[in-house]
Order: sequence, then structure tokens, then C-alpha cells
Amino acid sequence: MPASSNRSTTTDAPERPLGTGRVRRLHLPQKLRNLELFLLLLACGINAATVVLVQLGALGRIDTTLVLLGAGLSVLVLALHVVLRVVAREADPFILPIATLLNGLGIAMIYRIDLANEEYGWASASVRQTAWSALAIGCAIAVILIIRNHRVLFRYTYVAGFVGVALLLLPLVPGLGREVSGARVWIGVGSFATFQPGEIAKIALAVFFAGYLVRNRDSLSMVGKKILWMRFPRLRDLGPILVVWALSMSVIIFQRDLGTALLYFGLFLVMLYLATGRLSWVLLGMSLFLGGALIASQTLDYVNGRFQNWLDALNPDVYGADGGSYQLVQGLFGLAKGGLIGTGLGQGRPEITPVPQSDYIIASLGEELGLAGIFAILALYLLLVARGFRIGFAGNDDFGKLLGVGLSFVIALQCFIVIGGVTRVIPLTGLTTPFLAAGGSSLIANWIIVAVLLRLSDTVRNQPRLVV
Amino acid sequence: MSVSELTLLVLRLGFLLVLWLFIFGIVYALRSDLFGQRARKMQADAAAPVGAPAAFPSAVTLPPASSASAPTEQFTARPSPANAAADDKATSQNATRLVITSGSKAGTEFPLTGDSVTIGRSGDSSLVIRDDYTSTHHARLMLWHDKWMIQDLDSTNGTFLAGNRLTVPTPVPLNTTVKIGATSFELRR
Repeated sequence: MPASSNRSTTTDAPERPLGTGRVRRLHLPQKLRNLELFLLLLACGINAATVVLVQLGALGRIDTTLVLLGAGLSVLVLALHVVLRVVAREADPFILPIATLLNGLGIAMIYRIDLANEEYGWASASVRQTAWSALAIGCAIAVILIIRNHRVLFRYTYVAGFVGVALLLLPLVPGLGREVSGARVWIGVGSFATFQPGEIAKIALAVFFAGYLVRNRDSLSMVGKKILWMRFPRLRDLGPILVVWALSMSVIIFQRDLGTALLYFGLFLVMLYLATGRLSWVLLGMSLFLGGALIASQTLDYVNGRFQNWLDALNPDVYGADGGSYQLVQGLFGLAKGGLIGTGLGQGRPEITPVPQSDYIIASLGEELGLAGIFAILALYLLLVARGFRIGFAGNDDFGKLLGVGLSFVIALQCFIVIGGVTRVIPLTGLTTPFLAAGGSSLIANWIIVAVLLRLSDTVRNQPRLVV
Repeated sequence: MSVSELTLLVLRLGFLLVLWLFIFGIVYALRSDLFGQRARKMQADAAAPVGAPAAFPSAVTLPPASSASAPTEQFTARPSPANAAADDKATSQNATRLVITSGSKAGTEFPLTGDSVTIGRSGDSSLVIRDDYTSTHHARLMLWHDKWMIQDLDSTNGTFLAGNRLTVPTPVPLNTTVKIGATSFELRR
């Protein structure tokens, strides 16, 4: 353990009121980080086992070349762990192992689909996914090293808001934006390196919302007319919610991306509710979104088609139509084939569904791991999000609280939108499953979220005892 | 196929089992998570005095500090702040806690140990007061010859002891208001 030698010298930096607190602090970090190391090794072991099982199931033998996939990820997360030992010794010990396991399961499943499609080397999505994971964990390490205290982000509230909106609108710039399967949410230079800036925008917007609401929540929550038992806000305080509403609606219209719009608007509503504690804002916002979505479903045939596929998926006309429910229904068939314990890794046929490695990775995993596996994955997400909420709950300053809960809610909402879409709970919209799905931008964004949550949890534990 | 169906089935079930073991391992570790303990302790500190600011100081949360001569029975028999002897200086023997008497966190208590208490807006202060009137490093409470002294650290808006602005480090009497910005506190038994 590299950091254990200098631990005692770096602990007693500022003056703390409690002698007992300082003594406890000396013993805690090793415990937390050692717990993390144990869980991390377990997660890496499971990841390696997944790749091995995929090879046994699909090829019938163990191929050593791609065990490297698992090893690469393991080395990187262990590097992140070492960084945490040095600069964030009291960070939450569960977030990193959970993210590692999800990322590894995703890589193994993508590799499995590459095997079915007989893609190898750089053409295969799994190798690219590993490379993106390396980049993403590198970004996470950088974030942890650069942001030593999350309150720094509070200073850049409006910069973050501007960056978020700019990133969101970037795909609309002619020459830079790329349109992939109907949605114009990508940017690319030349024929390679496509990137989805909206994924990064969600972090910037979460920072902006948290900062904005901490500054303005009094005027948002205290004044306004009272109708029935609820206090409704004044028109001038209504401004921000209307701006965000208009923004997310324009995302639907110009980029044809219902999922992203839903994600941003949901994020804003939750943070607004968190900051003000007023149900009226949530009702107002939900009715605005539902109204907007309803109008969009009537007027835009892109949205209308999605609703059709959702409500009438098993109708042969809808199933066979161009852009119909073929993909959705294939995913459902896959899930049904999986049953309770799945067909076994490498033994199903998830490659029949279009894009089984990105949007439909949950259907692929469900087919091969079954209901038991899907529930395990959902439990991992649940634990991850619960840790984020816990960090927000334990925090003393309101900005950290809002940021922690906002960022973990983004992960939760994104899971709900994608997995709900695949399992036909809500209309399908194209978003990536966090950590699992093939896609670099999503990986980078989610690992940055992990880094921010780790940083938050460290500062929360290091906080002074009393803040007035 | 060089691997038999049975082996694959066993491996498959084993994999799911390990996956769930990982999850239950995390849930098990969460049970004894130190995060929760710490949060509970903070709640106990903050909640007890808010309900009954003066009547029942939370003897449970007090550290077993140097206050050997301050048994818990004294708390109920303690004279009210108004008729307390003004020249009863706070020492490490008779002052055990700092009580916020006005401001947004009025009623909150802060246990005193032998360590000095730094007060200011910066995050590394022991007592952080975030308002527009507080300087980054505003004031310091320290033990000097076993007496609690307050020293203004050249703050912009000053530190007031019983209404008088401090210029030099001054001994703090028990139950006397020290005002910093919009917050005031007292040292009590």
C-alpha cells in the first residue's frame, strides 16, 4: 500500500475541535480503502470470469488474447484506487467497485457480440470499448486530482451552464454535427472520433442547476400565490423552468432525441424539488413536459412512431414496418428466451437484435444471464444511486447536497429511460445504459460522475463539525 | 465443443451466484458503514439542543474531556445566563461547550476540548460561519493559562464580547455573548 507510510503525517492538517475525532480519522482511511480494494479485486475477478465464460460458451475454449480486455480494465481501476488512497482517503468505498463491475460486464457482453459478428481487432466494439474505458478512467483520475474540493465548482455555476448549453447545441453546428439513425446528437471530425457532447452536458448542467438553485431558492420557494393547498411561483421566478423547458423541447424538435430531453428536464425538476421542497414545481414541470411531449407526439412523426411501436408493438404491421417495432420485439423475444437464469454467457443469440451492444445491451444481458442476472445488474445500479443519495444526504453544504443527488439521479433516470424503453414500460428512446453500453462519450461522462461523487464523499467526511 | 454441457451449466449457475454474492457483500458492508454512524452522531449533536436549548444539554454527546469537575447534575442546577456572575471566567475546568444563541443554527452546541477553536468562513475552521459579515479567518478561541481567551484575527467586521469590540485577546466569561456577524454564541458549563 503506497500511501500507508505517509498517512500519519498528512492527517492532522487543520485544527479540529475534537481530539477524539482526530484519533478516529487516523484509523478510518485504511479501513475504507482496504474494503474498496477487496471489493475491487472481487469485481475484477468477476469481470475476468465473465470473459472466460463468454469464450467457453461461444468458442468452446479459452482464448488468452482477450483475457487482456479484463486485465486492462483491472489495471486502470487499481490505478484509480491508488490515486484515491493518496488524495481522497475517505471517499466512499462502494462506488468504484460497482462501476468497475458494470463496466466489465458491459465489455464482456460487447465482446460476446463481436464474437458472434466475427469482428476482431480495432474493428470490434469490445476493443474500442476497452480503449474508451481507459480514457474514461483517465478522465476520472484527472478530475479527482484537479478538483480537490467540490465547492470550487460553485464558483463556475454560470460558466457550467453556458458550457452545458453550448455542448447541447454543438451537434446542430453544420459540418460538425453527425446524424446517426435519425438523431442528430453526435459530433465528429472527419470520418472518425464521433462523440456525443450531450453526455458531458449533463454534468455541466447538474453543476449549473445546483449552483443556480442554491443562489435563488429562497425566491423560488417563499413567494407566490397560494392556490388550494399549494403555493405556486411568481411569473418572474418561473423564468428558469420555462427556459429549461423550451431548451429540452427544442432538443426534441431539432435533434430528435426524446430521451436526452427527458433526462435534462427530469434532472432539473428533481433538483428544483430538492432545493425548494415544493411539490407545486414538480407538478407544474411534469404537466409542462407531458403537454409538450403530447403535442410533439401529435405533430412530429418521429415521436409518433415511437409511441406506436410502444403501444402496439406486437401488431404485424407495426412489427414489419420500416422503423417499426422489429428491434423492440426482438429484444423482448431475447429476454423471454433467457427466462429465469438465462441461456448462459455465449450461448444465446443476442446478435439477432439490431444494435445489441449499445441500446439493447440490457436485452442481450437479459437473454444470456436471465432474470437473475438482470436483477443483479439493477441491484448494482440501485446501490450506486443509493450511495450517491447518501453522500448528498450526509453533506453539510447545500451545493454539495444538490450536486450529489442530482448526479446520481441522472444515472437512475437514464437507467429507467433506457431499460424501461427496452422492456416496453415507456416508449423507447435512444440513450445509453450507463457503464454497460458501447459508447465512449457515455463512459467518459459516467466515470466523471463517479469521480465527482468520490470527491464529494471525501469532502463530506472531512468537513468541519459545525457549519453555520 | 470441448467443454461439456454440464460444466457450462454449473459455471453459469456459479457465475450468477458470485454476482449476487458481490451484491450481498456490498449490502453487508453497508450495514456497518462508518458513514451512517457519523451521520447519526451529528444528528444527536444537533437535534438534542434544538428541542431544549438550555434545559437538557445533551450530556450523552459531550466528550469525556478535561471536565472532571463538571458532573452532569450541575447542568440542571446551573444558574441562568442572566444572573450568572459576570466575572466567572471560562476555564478548561468549567466550560464544556459552546452554544450558538442566535443565527440560523441557534441552539446548536459544540463541545469544547483542550484544543483551540478557529472561527471563520473558510472550510478549515473548526466552526464555520458562512455569512456576509464573517471573515475567512475571523477569530480564535484558545486556552491561555487554562482560561478561554478570544482573539480577533483582524477581521473586517469585528468580534464583539458582550457588545464591546475586541482589540486584544480577552478572557471570555461564562454565559457571555460573543457576536460574530449574524451569529452569537456563549461558553457554558
